[in-house]
Amino acid sequence: MPLILHHLMPIHWAIAGTGIAFVTLALLFIANRRLGISTGFEDVCSFVLPLGYFTRDAVRLARGWRLPFIGGLVLGGFVSAVLGAGGGWSPLWDLGLFDQVIGFGHAGKLAWMFVGGLFIGFGTRLADGCTSGHGIFGLSNFELPSFVSTLSFMAAGIVTTQFIYRVLFHL
Amino acid sequence: MALLYLALGTVFGFVLSRSGAADYNYIQAMFLFTSFQLYGIIGTAVAITAPGLWLIKRYGRTVSGRPVVVPLKPQHRGNIAGGILFGIGWSICGMCPGPIFVNIGEGKIYAIAALAGALAGAGLFGAIYTRIQSAFRLPRLVVGTGRT
Repeated sequence: MPLILHHLMPIHWAIAGTGIAFVTLALLFIANRRLGISTGFEDVCSFVLPLGYFTRDAVRLARGWRLPFIGGLVLGGFVSAVLGAGGGWSPLWDLGLFDQVIGFGHAGKLAWMFVGGLFIGFGTRLADGCTSGHGIFGLSNFELPSFVSTLSFMAAGIVTTQFIYRVLFHL
Repeated sequence: MALLYLALGTVFGFVLSRSGAADYNYIQAMFLFTSFQLYGIIGTAVAITAPGLWLIKRYGRTVSGRPVVVPLKPQHRGNIAGGILFGIGWSICGMCPGPIFVNIGEGKIYAIAALAGALAGAGLFGAIYTRIQSAFRLPRLVVGTGRT
């Protein structure tokens, strides 16, 4: 199955997993940092929301590495699009399966994404991590809260997608 | 150091972009059990990170000789409840937090709406933290001690 981006064929999962492990280990061994991306939402909030939660040391002292790292994520996606065969970078609305089965116009898609984003932002803060901090780092470090969180979000993702595509909108 | 983080983030973002981890179809295919790709990616990442992490902790020092510090995440009721909410969001958007940023870089307009939602969700959590603290047994806020 090709990617939505320029219909490129994805790299092999073993190569991708190795790349993720390399970055995770490099962050710790070179810079003494624990991989975690969703705390970056707090970093951004901490600039505009004068709330106690966002003045935590865990936020203030990690902005200096996490914000450039997140900037790199955006840049990595940009470079990937620019280097894509026959592609180059251009704004796109394509959403694959969603377009085929659910439809909705641009406004509906934005609303859908905003609602999903609310769940992601609130949920990752309540769980104290996401796929990177709990799923990759926490599991690799055999941390119990990470096993619990990862099982919870994998199960909820499976149930939600099965509900959306097998019950709500028939595939 | 900021350049190092930017470079590592760029590699991470490129891998997420080209592997399917930042692709709506591949996320749905993972949850629909119609593709092994994402399970393979996460499984390989953990299978390599786990022994690597063990070795680094055993060695005990970073490349510059400082003691390795791995801050641990607290255990509380939010792990399950928050995990469930996040899983629902991951399914709706087809993106987890890293890929939200990657998709913005790729030029996917709708990812900006996902980011706006995520920031609003995180902001809401920060605003009601003290009110849900006891219900979820969340840790006390650590402010001004100079420690992460």
